[in-house]
Amino acid sequence: MSEKPSRTVHRLGAGESSAKISPVEALSVASREYGKIDVRSAHPKWGMAVDVERCIGCWSCAVICKSENAVPLGMWWNRVLTDGDALDTPSSDEHGRQEMHWVPLACQHCEDAPCQKVCPTSATWTNLEGLVLVNQDDCIGCRYCMAACPYGVRVFNWATSEFPVPEGTGMVPPRPVGSVEKCTMCVHRIVEDQVPSCVWSCPAQARIFGDLNAPDSHLVQVLESRNPSTLLEEKGTHPKVSYLEPRRRRPLTEVRDDSLGDVTP
Amino acid sequence: MHSDTPARRGLRVDAWSIWLSVLAAGLLVGLFSFVYQWSNGLGVTGLSNTITWGLYIVAFMFLVGISAGGLIVVAGAELAGSHRFEHVNRLAVVCSVAAVATAAGTILPDLGRPQQAWKMILQPQLTSPLVWDMGVLTVYLLIGVIDLYILTRVPVSRKSLRVMAIVSLPVAILVHSITAWIFGLLVARPFWNTPLLAPLFISSALVSGTALVITVGWFIEKRTEYRVGESIYDGLRRLLLWFVAADFFLLFTEVMTTFVSGEPSHRAQLDILLTGRLAPVFWSEVILGVALPALILLSKARRSPNALAFASVLLLLGVLAKRINILFAAEFSPLVGLAPGIPGGRSGQAFRLDEVYIPTWVEIGVLIGIAAFFFTILTIGIQRMVLPHHRIDRIE
Repeated sequence: MSEKPSRTVHRLGAGESSAKISPVEALSVASREYGKIDVRSAHPKWGMAVDVERCIGCWSCAVICKSENAVPLGMWWNRVLTDGDALDTPSSDEHGRQEMHWVPLACQHCEDAPCQKVCPTSATWTNLEGLVLVNQDDCIGCRYCMAACPYGVRVFNWATSEFPVPEGTGMVPPRPVGSVEKCTMCVHRIVEDQVPSCVWSCPAQARIFGDLNAPDSHLVQVLESRNPSTLLEEKGTHPKVSYLEPRRRRPLTEVRDDSLGDVTP
Repeated sequence: MHSDTPARRGLRVDAWSIWLSVLAAGLLVGLFSFVYQWSNGLGVTGLSNTITWGLYIVAFMFLVGISAGGLIVVAGAELAGSHRFEHVNRLAVVCSVAAVATAAGTILPDLGRPQQAWKMILQPQLTSPLVWDMGVLTVYLLIGVIDLYILTRVPVSRKSLRVMAIVSLPVAILVHSITAWIFGLLVARPFWNTPLLAPLFISSALVSGTALVITVGWFIEKRTEYRVGESIYDGLRRLLLWFVAADFFLLFTEVMTTFVSGEPSHRAQLDILLTGRLAPVFWSEVILGVALPALILLSKARRSPNALAFASVLLLLGVLAKRINILFAAEFSPLVGLAPGIPGGRSGQAFRLDEVYIPTWVEIGVLIGIAAFFFTILTIGIQRMVLPHHRIDRIE
């Protein structure tokens, strides 16, 4: 899966670097319109729902995240895991039906973030809108947060990349060697009223981003109607990213009962 | 240097200068590796986004552990009203100080940006066990240094020794507990996240700390006219037996509880030790690092200082193996274990579920430096604090 070179729309054009517009402002009108956050309350708390039913496992969100955030080679803030026996082997349920689905995984922006509590310099902090962020200047690179994160979504800048991201490629500056970085929920886009780029780019619209404090937001409505779950709920981290389980396939017993009648051999 | 007779000096200076050259070479190797790592990033180590902590942290845990001998044994005996180990007080405290100072220094090479380490002191976040540990290690080091000051005055002030013992015993317990809590308070690592981790760290610290005092005492007894003495050897041996028994009991109850009724992710990490990749280290820890030395300590040979020292070395290695097991068992099996896994982190490194950790020469180099640093402090301490006063003791 290689990065698409065609994100010129998202980039500052040549010669525009002196102009005082943000990278997001440089997006096309259509792109900005498509990526607008639907509603925002007076005190927003940002969250996301991942519709596992819609996810087609294409990794678009993972790839656009890399170019949006200038994530160097070998590192990913966002990736799409496969819930099966292996990367390309579906598992079978007890009825012998093949089962396989994807779990797009990035920072869960926990309400009670274990990574934040253990950071010795408070380089990891939660902003007023509920986003767990890393202040790269304060990070000493002890990697305690990586040991503390149950989801394994933090990555460390082990060395200067052999193939560094070209200057101006991403929407945010690259991070120094020796510091930990992770998904910011595209905080630089949120301030411009734009959804994160993984949400914007998803061809299946499997990601729903919005304000958890706004009852009218699509996110809140979806969360209310779709019985969401969070990853590793038992760890008490209270993630602000939820997963919507597939509805498409009903249990086999139910299928037998009402639509297919007696089909068992 | 402090030899009495010119005839022995000739022989001694030789071994002595070899030892000094070894220490200097070790420090240089360590310094070079550290500077190399600092300028190239931690990518020159075998660490990855899965195995984020490696041998440096093992060394840190081990060094904090071996510092127990001095302060706990000395302060414990003092508070129990026993002057039995008084004779090895200085030696024990020198061992402690060397270990704590080195442990504190071992954190530096593990940092990605050592140039930012001051931020931990100037803008600490108080919820972080790493900050607690930094605080308690500093206090512990200070106590050790003050203890040494008191112990090298003539005559030794019994009252201040007692006051120091009252202060140092709780601090010593805290040092090992907080070091355990660095790991034990993480919900992300089931194998660490057990209330038993702090007691386990204390018991292993007592084993390795006492074993270190015996080993070092035995060694300088061989090389100088310093004498530990039969009654102290015997007293330390008895203590050691109790500590080994307690340590093994705690390990056993932890393994048993998890094996029989542990929740699956915890059990999965235990299985790495029992039957998985770390099984060779785990079973050698149990057999060579616990059972064999315990048998030696109980056997007929127990009166021989050589056998005691041999058992102590085995126990030290056993505790080292235990540190390795504790650290890596929790790292080898991430909680979200779906394919393709966690990105390695460097150009050309793919996603991995089961990361392989192979330490590089840089890590070995830094560890050699750390060991040399420890032995340098130990050597200076013994030369300046233990041996001269030992002679004074004898004259009096």
